[in-house]
Amino acid sequence: MVKQYGFDFDPARCVQCHACEMACKTLHSAERGVRWRRVVGIWSGTFPAIANRSVSFSCVHCGNPPCVAACPQGAIRKRPEDGIVVVDQEKCFGCHLCLMACPFGVPQFGANGKMQKCDLCVDLVTQGKEPACVATCPAEALRFGTLQELSEEATRRSVRRIAEKSDTAR
Amino acid sequence: MIGSHLIPTFCGMCGPSAGCGIYAHVLNGKFIRIEGMKECPLNRGRNCPKAHAAPEWVYSPDRLRYPMRRKGKKGEGRFERITWDEALDTIAATLKDQKDKFGPESLAILSPARRSYSDYLYRFLMAHGSPNYCHSGICAMQNAFSFAYTLGAARPEADYEKSDLIIIWGKQPVYSGASKGSTRLLVEAKERGARIVAIKPSLEPDAALAEIWVPIRPGTDAALALAMLNVIVREGLFDADFVSQWCYGFEELTRHVQKYTPAWAEQITGVPEDQIHDVARLYGTTKCAAIDYGNGLEHAPSASDAARSIAILIAITGHFDRLGGNVVAVGSTMPLPKSVHLKERYTEEWVDKLVAPEFPKPFQPFIEGTSSTYFGAFESVLTGKPYPVRTIIAPGTQPTVSTRGSKRVVEALQKLDFFVVIDVMGTAEMAYADVVVPVATPYETDHPFEFTSNWIMARNKVIEPLGEYKSMYELWLDLGVRMGYGDDFWNGSMEASQNEQLAPLGMTIDDLRVHPTGIVYPGKPMAYEKYAQVFSTPSPLLKNRPFLPQGKVAIYNTTFEGEGFSPLPGWREPIESLTATPKLLQAYPLVFSDFHTSKVYNAGWLRNVPYLREILPFPTIHMHPDTASVRGIGEGDWVIVESPHGWMRLKAELVPGIRPDTVMALHGWWQGCQELGLAGFPILDGGANTNNMYCVDPDKAFDPLVTAMSSQTLVEVRKAPRQGEATEGKPV
Repeated sequence: MVKQYGFDFDPARCVQCHACEMACKTLHSAERGVRWRRVVGIWSGTFPAIANRSVSFSCVHCGNPPCVAACPQGAIRKRPEDGIVVVDQEKCFGCHLCLMACPFGVPQFGANGKMQKCDLCVDLVTQGKEPACVATCPAEALRFGTLQELSEEATRRSVRRIAEKSDTAR
Repeated sequence: MIGSHLIPTFCGMCGPSAGCGIYAHVLNGKFIRIEGMKECPLNRGRNCPKAHAAPEWVYSPDRLRYPMRRKGKKGEGRFERITWDEALDTIAATLKDQKDKFGPESLAILSPARRSYSDYLYRFLMAHGSPNYCHSGICAMQNAFSFAYTLGAARPEADYEKSDLIIIWGKQPVYSGASKGSTRLLVEAKERGARIVAIKPSLEPDAALAEIWVPIRPGTDAALALAMLNVIVREGLFDADFVSQWCYGFEELTRHVQKYTPAWAEQITGVPEDQIHDVARLYGTTKCAAIDYGNGLEHAPSASDAARSIAILIAITGHFDRLGGNVVAVGSTMPLPKSVHLKERYTEEWVDKLVAPEFPKPFQPFIEGTSSTYFGAFESVLTGKPYPVRTIIAPGTQPTVSTRGSKRVVEALQKLDFFVVIDVMGTAEMAYADVVVPVATPYETDHPFEFTSNWIMARNKVIEPLGEYKSMYELWLDLGVRMGYGDDFWNGSMEASQNEQLAPLGMTIDDLRVHPTGIVYPGKPMAYEKYAQVFSTPSPLLKNRPFLPQGKVAIYNTTFEGEGFSPLPGWREPIESLTATPKLLQAYPLVFSDFHTSKVYNAGWLRNVPYLREILPFPTIHMHPDTASVRGIGEGDWVIVESPHGWMRLKAELVPGIRPDTVMALHGWWQGCQELGLAGFPILDGGANTNNMYCVDPDKAFDPLVTAMSSQTLVEVRKAPRQGEATEGKPV
């Protein structure tokens, strides 16, 4: 594979505003009840030591996608040029085996019974643009790039945080 | 999107004015989606969820398509179609007639959340001769007043970028404007180790960024602030140099706050005494510390006491206009466009004619202009005092949803001579209107330009109007001309209006249009400690005397004292509370309040937009799980919430991030959503409108200085006898 694109999500920055969900939904005209990207909030703690954290989740375009292996029709494929996992609705007959195989519950099914999911905004990405969710996030919690780029950035971010903490500790 | 045409313009999905920049995608004449405008310094290419839902809002089946006149009785909701000319001629004829018979002050115009058309409303009132621009009395101005008259600065902003401690107090820091730069700055502050404290009764997810939650009872912020002042003074945590050089009345304060101990405050606020000490000490000892206070302070009989106390806290701890504190913005090199308000025409007689002053007359006009209160204008219809208003116009605002005491408002609407609704969709009380005039959404018009402190851009039309209407701005110009005020309304020319406003910038609207994404002006370098300048800021009063007569922070406020108000902030209970009215606790053991904003909605609108409604589909009551379980209430159960004044029917949402003795609901619910098959809710009792729950006794429910209308009461919550959503017209 030439490169593998992916998302990076920083839960420390997510403010649970759902802008990413809306940007995705409106770009892809997702129907009622279907959300290619989902923001989920989780409470923890007991009063008054309470926290709420949120996660923005869509397809992660696995390196070795269980959905691709599970599909009896070969309707799902991982693109060799960029690693984006896409479904061909012409071939899909809605058996839901991909949903059973996906550890994250990503595949969804709309009115036509066929599978649909995040396609990493392949149309935008092939034009050199960012996915809609990444572009809109007001807190810059979502990033996009090759896994190599994302890994380097995550390392830089963590190093910065560790350095700041040790600065404060001194 | 392949083949779509991109139009730079402004988002129109929240208020106040100066929306974020967007690119609207139009494909085959249809507005299909938006993306953010990177060139706009306000949102820098980012947008909140509401922005993306714009096409659904614009094409909503609830859009008003043509002007209407009421047939049949008020409240029946029967209308006949009329033309734009007929509608405006009817309004003009009525206003002329009433002006002759009753004087021009018989006209009141209700203020929407501040918009760029607010000043056109003011202009019409100026031309007509009425001072009655009516604020809701629950927002923005309430805090601004206390801050202006204490610090000389109406809105000293929290300097997020440089703060090591950010105290969020009575605010939803993100949902109040998720796409504005402050969201990113808040998140970055946290990332670099700034401590965040949230002082709120309930922790909505955005405030849950906080490391420390101070779970305060609704309406008791003044008590907490006074106790913090007590600690600061007693422990010497004030900036002695600043106090001696720039504060008036510190000695009186030290005596005054002795009785407001943290132990005293604990029994009122529900915040443990130790925590009050800790927060006060943390604030007093952190050099770069800011208080980001919000709307939550503005709804109690002690609203002005809370805001004044917080302003004093900021000042005496040395955090005013200092790095990382609460700072006074310096603006940019952009000349301000000329206002259309015509404030130069104010006179004392003008102020005297106010039907229901929002601030006492000696303090009018305030920064926006002269103002009456919404609620007071409606009361005048019922009481005839000081005189009855005869026409009320509601442009982009809904009095039963946006002010308290909806039952009184409806009674007044029944009696009112003439009620005009101007809006893009049907409104909550439209059935009482005599004339309804639809107007364009911001996406269907190419005016006016909008601006922030350092950016100005012409508006571009995304699609043609979908019905027989013009823009809100064109309406007022048109009406002005029909009333004979053409000289004040550019003889109907929106181009001439914009050109006059742009003159200080040395350009016409055509010149501005040459820049599709507008013009960004360089900022001025930030300067701190501008005390001589800020403390001599002239007030907008007719004699322009300064806000601060001593040229110092008015801890002891001689201006207020001179008009018979308390010179120092004190404590005033909500009308119903755990400590003020213990006799009510048997029947109503829980504190109830409402919050003003949420992830996906704004004020009293947007519930009819399917994309947004899917995320928050029902009006809920936030309850602590323990509070719910002792009542046999489970997650998602429909419940009846009843106060001494009214009742609501809501869905229970169990959240651990709320005080167990408190329940809270989101303000502004009434709309159904046609596309999702969800019915609307009754405006009065039995619906989801928080405004029915509170006392509106004029002697009790208002802050005497800033008119804040209370949003605290006591309630009981019980499971509704029948579950399931109410279907249209069938209460369960």
